[in-house]
Amino acid sequence: MNNRLRVLRAERKWSQQHLAELLEVSRQSVNAIETGRYDPSLPLAFKISDVFDLTIEEIFSNPSKENA
Amino acid sequence: MRTQAAKRYQRRFLSSMLAYVGILFACVWATNTYEPTGVPLIILSVLPALPVIIAMVVMGLYLIEETDEFVRQRIVSAMLFGIGVVLSVSTVLGFLQYNDLVGKVDVFWGFPIWAMSWGLFQCFLTWRDSRVGGGE
Repeated sequence: MNNRLRVLRAERKWSQQHLAELLEVSRQSVNAIETGRYDPSLPLAFKISDVFDLTIEEIFSNPSKENA
Repeated sequence: MRTQAAKRYQRRFLSSMLAYVGILFACVWATNTYEPTGVPLIILSVLPALPVIIAMVVMGLYLIEETDEFVRQRIVSAMLFGIGVVLSVSTVLGFLQYNDLVGKVDVFWGFPIWAMSWGLFQCFLTWRDSRVGGGE
């Protein structure tokens, strides 16, 4: 699932470590989500949207719409 | 960076393994010295297995206590990989033994093979992660 995490993080000049601390996960988790190797659970996706103050749809792209 | 659950796991696992070594040596010494039979021999035979069973409980606790879902998913993947290795090895071994190509092999090797496979797969995942995406 594609996402804009890296771009949004760069806009705020946050390191992966800083974002990981805000989300209370490991830096590896942030890295895995950014590179699309791991899709976060719904609770973590909501946490990410809270941290960036955006909706989930503004961060993560809908895979079914991507393929359409 | 290790999570708090991982630190707790390492501490508990090390304790159980130290207990295993201590109990194993004590049981081997008692068996050789007193040459027990019957119930005492059964007890001395089973005692070394208890810390190993505790180590498995510790691994289960690690899975329950790990709050980082990505790390937890990797642990489960590595555990499944370890199970696959043990089942593959035991299947091949079974057929080799069926044709009398291999003699008796102690089944207690199952746990260390599983644990080592798990550890190696975790190392592989860490190495792969270090190559993809990089850190900032």
